[in-house]
Amino acid sequence: MMVELADLPEEIREKLRHHRVTHSLRRKSRVFVDTTNFTAIDYGDIILVDDRYFLVTAFTREGRFGVDDQVKPWVPRVEDLNTGEHKILKLVFHETFDITFGPFTIPCYRNPEKEARVLELVKGHPHFMQGEAVLDEAGNLVRILDIINGSRVDKVIQRSGTGHKEYFNNELPDILAHYLPCVKAIGFLHSHGLRHGDVRRDHIFVERHTGLYRWIDFDYDFYLPEKPFALDLFELGNALMYLTARRNIYPRDIMADPDLGESVAGTIEAGDYSLLSKNRIANLKKIYPYIPTSLNNVFLHFSLGTEVFYETVDELYLDLEKVLAQGW
Amino acid sequence: MNDWKKVLIAIDDTPTSDKGLRYAGKIIGKLPGVDVCLLHVYPEPPPDYYNSGKSLADYTSQQEVEANILVQRCRKMLTDAGIVPESIVTEVRMAAELKTISETILEVQQQGGYGTIVVGRRGVSKAEEFLFGSISNALVHHSRDCTVWVVG
Repeated sequence: MMVELADLPEEIREKLRHHRVTHSLRRKSRVFVDTTNFTAIDYGDIILVDDRYFLVTAFTREGRFGVDDQVKPWVPRVEDLNTGEHKILKLVFHETFDITFGPFTIPCYRNPEKEARVLELVKGHPHFMQGEAVLDEAGNLVRILDIINGSRVDKVIQRSGTGHKEYFNNELPDILAHYLPCVKAIGFLHSHGLRHGDVRRDHIFVERHTGLYRWIDFDYDFYLPEKPFALDLFELGNALMYLTARRNIYPRDIMADPDLGESVAGTIEAGDYSLLSKNRIANLKKIYPYIPTSLNNVFLHFSLGTEVFYETVDELYLDLEKVLAQGW
Repeated sequence: MNDWKKVLIAIDDTPTSDKGLRYAGKIIGKLPGVDVCLLHVYPEPPPDYYNSGKSLADYTSQQEVEANILVQRCRKMLTDAGIVPESIVTEVRMAAELKTISETILEVQQQGGYGTIVVGRRGVSKAEEFLFGSISNALVHHSRDCTVWVVG
């Protein structure tokens, strides 16, 4: 069914006429009820789903590390013309690509159906982005997401600019106290047979008015039939180590740091490196000797030297909970 | 402990699986009273399988065709080793409903009261085991009421 601008209710057309977005447009807005060809949808257009009129006000950008900001045309920022609420829409974009972990390559997928199932499961859960999935006229699963008013946790932890020891003693306990429920939240997904699929430090948002840490972006999926949750688990460990060190640490970082240098670099052994992230150091106590052994032991589960892996997120959660209860 | 002569052999199309099968054939081939189940478990389709319009039925029927060829080949290896055809049953299952392949093998073991599981082992690094898993290790760690023969 084609819908023209003139077919829209008068109150919607009225709002559109006075909207800042349409003022800057040199063409008429178009109405899309079928989002299959999402690249045709542009700034100032309207996506009509679920009897709601979403005006495209911007597009989100790819935030993956090492990738320059690239517009994601399948993820428009929109305004609901009925309510004035700002949302993010995610349109169906089936993409398959490989991710490399050390010597391994894992096929990854964008899986809108999985994201819809996660959104349904985590409705009302404080540690997940909220939203809902609806079908457009062509049967595409459009996800309507609430915008979290806040910042990425990896940016938040850089704000104070203090030295690491001060950060470790004064800031990290509170940061990890907020991270711990996020770990539990991933275990909650797994207990329902669902993966996050893209656990990364920049996929935790710190909500400005509550301070809550919330996971975002659930549309990635991977295919590891015998270890369906291993990648989520590994990335939780990576995020934990990043939060602790306030960076990833590679041998070049040790050499570049006047407080560390050769004397520390020379102590790094093969077993101190990450199990899967090439050249990343997991045995952080060698860099920061004041890290308690109990916390470092959690990191070592993700190192090449480990004899024992965490099999489940719950095992990681319980260990981390114990470490935080002891404090430092 | 289940009867050890009820033997479940987990098979796939790899040299290590054949190695396990040959070993089992040598040990139990001439023994009386042995019952064997040749079991092939395959995983659920990858998440993008359905994007091309294919259905789960398409996937399972394709898997079943391939599994039947595998099962017939393995059955012959056992009969060549001296096991009477009447004492060999075969089963093909998809690891479904959130179960892994190793969990599905153990499910069949429990349901059938098998006292022995035979599985090949290809040897994996720590990192591989963490990410991709090791079916033989999982069977060793989680099996109950049975012996696991891991043939490397």
